[in-house]
Amino acid sequence: MKSLLWRLAGHLTRGLAMIWAVTTFTFFLIRLMPGDPVQVQYERLIALGMSPEQAESGTAMTYGFVPHGPVWQQYLDYIVGLAHLDLGVSVDSQGIPVADRVFGAMPWTVLLVLSGILVSFLIGVGLGVVAALKRGNVVGHSLSIAGSLLHGVPPFVIGILLTALFTRQWRWFPSGGIYDADLVAPGFYADFMADVAYHTILPASAFALASYGGWLLAMRSSVASVLGDDFLLAAELRGLTRWMRFRYLARNAILPLFTVLAISFGLVFGGAIFIERIFNYPGLGMLLFASIGARDFSMMSGSFLLITAAVIIANILADLLYSVIDPRVRRQT
Amino acid sequence: MIAKFARQKPGRENSNAAIAGQLARSSSPRRRFWRGVWVALKRRPSRIAGVAIVALFIFMAIAGAWFYPDRLPYDVNEVYAPISWEHPLSTDNQGVDVLALVVTGTRGVLLVAAAAGLVTMLVGTAAGLYAGYRRGAADSVLMRIADFVLTIPGFPLLIVLTTAINVGTWWKMALVLGLIGWGGLARAVRSQTLSLRERGFIEAARGLGLPTRHIVVKELLPNVAPYIATNLLIAVTAYIYAQVGLYFLGVLPVDTSNWGVMLNNAVFLSGALISPDALPYLLAPLGAILLLTLGVVLIVDALEEIFNPRLRES
Repeated sequence: MKSLLWRLAGHLTRGLAMIWAVTTFTFFLIRLMPGDPVQVQYERLIALGMSPEQAESGTAMTYGFVPHGPVWQQYLDYIVGLAHLDLGVSVDSQGIPVADRVFGAMPWTVLLVLSGILVSFLIGVGLGVVAALKRGNVVGHSLSIAGSLLHGVPPFVIGILLTALFTRQWRWFPSGGIYDADLVAPGFYADFMADVAYHTILPASAFALASYGGWLLAMRSSVASVLGDDFLLAAELRGLTRWMRFRYLARNAILPLFTVLAISFGLVFGGAIFIERIFNYPGLGMLLFASIGARDFSMMSGSFLLITAAVIIANILADLLYSVIDPRVRRQT
Repeated sequence: MIAKFARQKPGRENSNAAIAGQLARSSSPRRRFWRGVWVALKRRPSRIAGVAIVALFIFMAIAGAWFYPDRLPYDVNEVYAPISWEHPLSTDNQGVDVLALVVTGTRGVLLVAAAAGLVTMLVGTAAGLYAGYRRGAADSVLMRIADFVLTIPGFPLLIVLTTAINVGTWWKMALVLGLIGWGGLARAVRSQTLSLRERGFIEAARGLGLPTRHIVVKELLPNVAPYIATNLLIAVTAYIYAQVGLYFLGVLPVDTSNWGVMLNNAVFLSGALISPDALPYLLAPLGAILLLTLGVVLIVDALEEIFNPRLRES
């Protein structure tokens, strides 16, 4: 128990160090941006007739630091602001805090990505077992080639193909958005949820298709490595049924995949940019993309920070999860 | 045949340096290696197809632009022309031949991806070998950096970076891509080096008092090369798609025609999704990407068998 706590402490410090490094990176990124957007904002406020003090505090609202004075002071202000979850104010849509927009977009990305991951995980793991058991023959080989192909193809290819087919060729699904504002108003009732589901099916399946190949390959190699283990032979010699042996095999083979699953929960915040763009889905990736188009640097760094922080947190959770579900790892440390 | 070659290797390195050098210079192991490649390719005809596909794309990148004038001819009366001998893949929304666009769009993307692959290979291999062979403080520092690079989601970082840095010239783009992507290779090379350095032939080389340079370049590197090759091929493909993706989103300023610009144009600007006549324009770059992926997947499949004969199933 004590060692687990030590592990947790180590992971947390490492994660915090990483988040700190990323925030430092985004700070200098904004400062070094061509045309110095912070200075531009300050000058625009002056031109609007503000006094230098007002302009300074206005800029500080936007970016979290005052554009003048020593750099370390600016940096300190920025970090202190972030520690209070103050991501600044959007440049493009005036007055709206970045944190509001970012945390408002997050649930939609989570909905899209979570359903996509779960579906692809189930399909990929199932087919991966088949690919490993049949690996000598045509079925196994074509399954793994198809898996590698889908794993290798960039997600936007699948996204474009699905939109072209199912929203234009056959108009089975709506071409974008998350709900039809003319038909339903947001709220917790059946019609609204059904409409959201109807809008989410296509992007989520695009996401699932783009990522199930990875699960298939991982499960295949995991099953293949467990297949040679002695305990399976022992189980066969003891006369255990096929089904029982399969359960032994599956339980051991799926272990390493849970870590990958936990890590992928973090990665997907950023990985859905293409899908969100193609399906016009207002999630985090879309927010990042839109803020870049509008040169909204405070929004850009805010959404980038959240995307990165999610990955780091997911990594820590994955490590901890692994030591909980696999006792062998626990004993090593 | 390949297995024999692999078994023989440590024996070769156990002998003293002069003989080892002589043997390395003689062409026999190398010829045996190429014969092994040929055997692995022949086992599955699909692998030969993979090599052919990738060779076709490399040819298109090198020689493709010579077949077409610098400015592709357009004809506003021939927008989304039906498929014919003159326009085998129809035309785009300005009447430019789509096949010409696909072919000439190969060079820029492949050039940047290859250069970025070179950067990744140099940085990743150097960092991995150094960290794995030296161990100690340098190892933990290098691997912390590698973890950092690996953890930050690549594509969002790429988008943010390309807006911050002006990546107008091809080598800047290659540098950014290569420096984002070296973490995985460094990790693979390091773990391989870690297990190799405990093996007998490395210990023998150290015992013989051979200089570190010799051990790293002549003993370690050839054994790590397979991992570098496989990782590199996958990395270069990822770089191609990252660029196409950036152009497709419209984040990069459009300078040349390439697959990403075509897709951006087709999906967001010209409304090719709606008009059935424009389907070839939309499908051509997608087909090129699918074909290239297929080629790379088939080659990786062959590489795995060449370098790891144990994977072969009877």
